[in-house]
Amino acid sequence: MKTYSTSTEVDYVVIGSGAAGGIMAKQLSVAGFSVVVLEQGGWGKYGKEHEYNKDEWLARNENDEDRLMSDPKLQVNTFRPNDKVKAVPGSHSYGRVVGGGTVTYGGSMWRHLPYEFREATYDPTIPSGTAMADWPIAYEELEPYYTQAEWEMGISGQRVNSPFFAPMSKDYPVPPVPLKSSGALFHTAAAKLGLTVIPGPLAIITKPYMGRAACVNCGICSGFGCQVKARSSSAVTVLPIAEKTGRCEIRVRSYVREISVDNSGRVTGVIYFDAQKREVRQKAKAVILSANASESARLLLMSKSARFPDGLANSSGMVGRHVMFGNTVSVNALFEHPLNEYKGVISGAGIVDFVPSDPKRGFYGGGRMTARGYQTPFDLGLNGLSPGAPSWGAGYKKALREEANHRMNITSFVTQLPLESNRVDLDPDVKDAWGLPAMRITFTGHENDKKVMEFFRQKSMDILEAAGATKVWAPPVREANSGAHNRGTCRMGNDPKTSVVDKFHRAHDVPNLYVVDGSSFVTGGRNHPTMTIDALAFRASDHIIRDAKNAKATSRRSNASGT
Amino acid sequence: MSTLGKSRRSFLIASATGLPAAWIAANYPGILAAAQSTGLTFFNDAQAAEIEAVTAQIIPSDATPGAREAHCVNFIDKALTTFSQNDQAAYTQGLQDLQAKTKELYPDAAKFSALTSEQQIKVLTAMEKTPFFRTVRTHTVLGFFSRPVHGGNYDKVGWKLIAYDDSLNFKPPFGYYDAQEMKR
Repeated sequence: MKTYSTSTEVDYVVIGSGAAGGIMAKQLSVAGFSVVVLEQGGWGKYGKEHEYNKDEWLARNENDEDRLMSDPKLQVNTFRPNDKVKAVPGSHSYGRVVGGGTVTYGGSMWRHLPYEFREATYDPTIPSGTAMADWPIAYEELEPYYTQAEWEMGISGQRVNSPFFAPMSKDYPVPPVPLKSSGALFHTAAAKLGLTVIPGPLAIITKPYMGRAACVNCGICSGFGCQVKARSSSAVTVLPIAEKTGRCEIRVRSYVREISVDNSGRVTGVIYFDAQKREVRQKAKAVILSANASESARLLLMSKSARFPDGLANSSGMVGRHVMFGNTVSVNALFEHPLNEYKGVISGAGIVDFVPSDPKRGFYGGGRMTARGYQTPFDLGLNGLSPGAPSWGAGYKKALREEANHRMNITSFVTQLPLESNRVDLDPDVKDAWGLPAMRITFTGHENDKKVMEFFRQKSMDILEAAGATKVWAPPVREANSGAHNRGTCRMGNDPKTSVVDKFHRAHDVPNLYVVDGSSFVTGGRNHPTMTIDALAFRASDHIIRDAKNAKATSRRSNASGT
Repeated sequence: MSTLGKSRRSFLIASATGLPAAWIAANYPGILAAAQSTGLTFFNDAQAAEIEAVTAQIIPSDATPGAREAHCVNFIDKALTTFSQNDQAAYTQGLQDLQAKTKELYPDAAKFSALTSEQQIKVLTAMEKTPFFRTVRTHTVLGFFSRPVHGGNYDKVGWKLIAYDDSLNFKPPFGYYDAQEMKR
């Protein structure tokens, strides 16, 4: 791999190597620029993916070097429901390895629908007190980049002509994953209730594609690294291409604490801690911040200077605000015969009829229902039996035998409205092991969101009953106030007073800083964020490359005229 | 079998399970050797017998193997000298508490493992809200369902109980309902 000295001014430093960072690194290095990617976490099994395993006991005991997700004890964060109370230790975590969250995620890759970019004006029923706004871009502008992302990353799925499914200009490169028993039960219920089942688009390839092998349906999928490289993570798709250009260096265990600026307000590089907690300065002509919505906002807020006393790119005061984590609703059921949901991908089918909002329901928003039921042996044994099942003894063993593989779960991914009061900022008291302020999350969702969740809870029970469940149980709904689906903290917009980045992800306040990840989301869609993060990254890279080439041409011209 | 054949076989097993032994050995010094040894690393024989009796009530043996046949006590013993060293004190104290509760309910009994099964259930029911019981319960379940390389789930008896197939390569149909759908 190419390595750069820290005193070399590289064209771009990319902070983060996940969904967005991986794409940015690849696009910029292929276009001929020098790139250093700084990743907080370690290599994982990058380049030797066959060493991933499904050993649950090892996974519970990973040391920091081998960990694939952040550990809230080390990547400290705090939580408070509102700004009137003191924050307590929080449990927010995210992918922290080369490839980020895409190394272990379930892989759902639903596009946003066209109206999800203009909800504020499209739908008159949005309740008051929200920060709903239209995106500065339309679906039609993003559509080619959705297609590019699907083909470059390797997304499986089936193009469907339906008002509940985003229109596509091209098919998916590989067909959808095979139907699972949970999907078959969706079909049974849908036939009775008149609903629409669609095979879920997934970042898991079902045929050999771009030098990678097809999924072998090994199961125990989400949460574990993929041994056959069928999961289309950044680590097996874009990052190896970036590396092969000979212009991209990936530096692991590099924890950025500041994006530095000069007196004119331009970014000059970054300061990070290396694995030995030594401070290192890397010079760069421009910085791409792709650390995920929460960490990107935190880093901007930590990057205070005389010129930017409230944090970098924060003249609007909007950095960290409007954070959304995406609500989910989970309902379980048992069936007479085995489903064996642990085999194959986590979810292969979705019911999509309730994606659009319908004023008749008495709330604003919608969601996508996914068929699943995956439990690892540990999940089942520790806490996975139906309510009322004994936790030890003969009754426990009997329940283990009877319920194993007979469970189905519907997880719905639903609207969570952006609120200005929901934010990520710096905890004034708590520091992490590097002496940096902990991320503080302040979050209480809008009343409307509870109604959305309750609707999907009821619908899930109806569907499971229609599918013939022998027992259905639905825990009370709970809003998401942390987690990997975070987004919205540096919203994009045309007005520098109300947004952090412009429609091409350039910070309004800083000409050579781009924030490219889930943080630029204006609204949350129906939760699943990664497909849109990918499309935005491809689109941003096009504009950044064009800007850079134009700037080069301009400076060549001015040099020429000067001589 | 020749040495060559043996090493080839272990290589094949490692590849098939995706769990290279060398990798574990390098990353977690001692764990492989410890897990595969039959000797105890933390408990003495008497303590092991007591803990084994507790595990055997958590997942009893009936027509099918339980925690005893899965060697869950072996898993717990190895865990206490590797990943779960922080729980050592809880076990040392818990064994004393178990003895005390046994004496309280059955003054004539010498030790928990000497009680009848009904009596053991009474003692554990009286202790089931304690952190010690919860820890043993968690460890028993983990030992029953973890990879056999860690000392429990002997002969994959835990996985057999829940019909979990660890072959890591499946073709549809996966379950009953998708099989039915394919027939349509």
